Amino acid sequence: MSERRASLIAGLGLGGFVLAFSFAGRFLYRADPYTIHPAHALQAPDWAFPLGTDELGRDGLALLLAGGQATLEVALPAAVLAFVTGLAYGLLAGLGPGWLDKILMRLLDVFLALPSLVLLIFFAALARNGLSNTMLVLLLGFITWPGLARLVRNEVFAQRRRDFILAAQQAGAGPFYLARVHLLRVIAPVLVVNGTFLVGDTIFALSALSFLGLGVQPPQVSWGSLLQSALDIIALAPWWLLLPPGLLVFASLLAASLLGRGVGRGVLRR
Amino acid sequence: MRRQRAVRLLRRLLGSAVSILLLVTLVFFLAHLTPGGPAFSILGQKATPGSVAALNARLGLSAPLLVQYGIWWGHLLQGNLGYSYLLNRPVGALLWNYEINTLVFYTIAICLSTGLAILLGLAQGVWHGRWPARVIGAFQLVFYATPPFFTAAILVLCFGVWLHWLPASGIGNPRLAHPGVGTYAAHLVLPVVTVMLLTVPMLSRYFGEAVHEELAKDYVRTARAKGVGFAGILFTHVLRNALRPLVTMLGLSFPYIFTGGVLVESVFNYPGLGWLLWRSALGRDYPVLIAIVLLIGLLTVLGNLLADVVNGLLDPRADYE
Repeated sequence: MSERRASLIAGLGLGGFVLAFSFAGRFLYRADPYTIHPAHALQAPDWAFPLGTDELGRDGLALLLAGGQATLEVALPAAVLAFVTGLAYGLLAGLGPGWLDKILMRLLDVFLALPSLVLLIFFAALARNGLSNTMLVLLLGFITWPGLARLVRNEVFAQRRRDFILAAQQAGAGPFYLARVHLLRVIAPVLVVNGTFLVGDTIFALSALSFLGLGVQPPQVSWGSLLQSALDIIALAPWWLLLPPGLLVFASLLAASLLGRGVGRGVLRR
Repeated sequence: MRRQRAVRLLRRLLGSAVSILLLVTLVFFLAHLTPGGPAFSILGQKATPGSVAALNARLGLSAPLLVQYGIWWGHLLQGNLGYSYLLNRPVGALLWNYEINTLVFYTIAICLSTGLAILLGLAQGVWHGRWPARVIGAFQLVFYATPPFFTAAILVLCFGVWLHWLPASGIGNPRLAHPGVGTYAAHLVLPVVTVMLLTVPMLSRYFGEAVHEELAKDYVRTARAKGVGFAGILFTHVLRNALRPLVTMLGLSFPYIFTGGVLVESVFNYPGLGWLLWRSALGRDYPVLIAIVLLIGLLTVLGNLLADVVNGLLDPRADYE
């Protein structure tokens, strides 16, 4: 089996596991994440609580499942939003008139002038009582798209002097027809790879933001906030609260990177 | 050509300046247009319409927005970045204190990361396709996907809580005026290792590929044919050429490193810029937030420029590109 194949399969398996765990897990393990069992506070894993309990006596596994669902429910739509925005922006800049491209690229530079986490933290700080999940989707989508937009625009620039595009233009094809019929097909592999990376980006960004207390707001939990609350009581060494959410973020990022690699190597070979 | 290079640098500098200007303007207006504004965050639960209005008047927030913006620029040009609502200190002095800590931390972390990345990259390039390169590749894949806050948390758990080897928070005993360099160094170990585990995978992978590419080039064959030893080829020829993309990468990866830095500083309570950014965000301390955005924008541009200059020194041909 080639390395590409292995990457692809491992990525699909890992990604599938994370999705199934977070969305289907709650139907298999029905304990309520927000019920408090004061008598069992901060217990290490046992048969009653497979992943232990937190300092309030809440079921660790149930919290992890709820946190996964909350994380993915925000991060996945945000990735889709970023993908669509970035693609549209990139196509507009690439196919539109020259002056429009200049303006759009200058605006993009403004967004790319800062680390995205800094912008995220700033925007999250604007909301006085924390952001709702819908706002988080919009914010994450809004922050993560510029990279893809620039990539699409550069791809379009690289392709648009090729013979088949010029021929189509000679035959009277408009920009929309060109984008839909020719360009999207040519740049599809690049889009797939970078779309995968976008999912990893939004999961990371949301987890980081929640870890800092600016993302998904309590009482709702997410992987990032679970990690932060485990870190708050790190002196008591609650490894059963610390490792699972971190490993799930890790698994999602690894899946995205393996999938991107698997698809990407194929693109290069062809 | 020097001249050509200077013109190119100047143009890029101007472009970046415009970007930062737009960004800071955007950030300023957003921060001041939010409902409630900072007065609510300062007064908290006790806010009444009267006390909010009084505080706004005192902070100069009741003037029209454009006037406030003009005043902000006037102050900025005099070197006055405003006043922190939360910590009750001038922002400039505040930033300076925290920035020193961050600079020390990043300088050490980046130097060590670069050194390690060069070693790993050389090994990976030389043994391309064989098991040492595969082991390094696996290391890169795993740590590239590990979020820095998770790495940091595991390090704290292992070395701070279980083994009690290293301090896991702050930069020293706050009760002592001068805790000593040794204490400071001990507090730096875990944050620095975290940043290294974050940056080395990315840098070494990139460098390893550059080394592999260079080794396949004609000049290597020529050098070999005229009898230069392998070590000679590697360290006098290949290293220098492969360093160029690494330097570019280092300059461009500043935002990436800083993103990790914010998270690392917040885990270890390391009083640097990232920590200050986090705290000011939680406390809605807008003057500090705006100043940090400005500063980080400047540092990002500086990183790119520095990479450009170093590359010119490494390879004079870069001036003609």
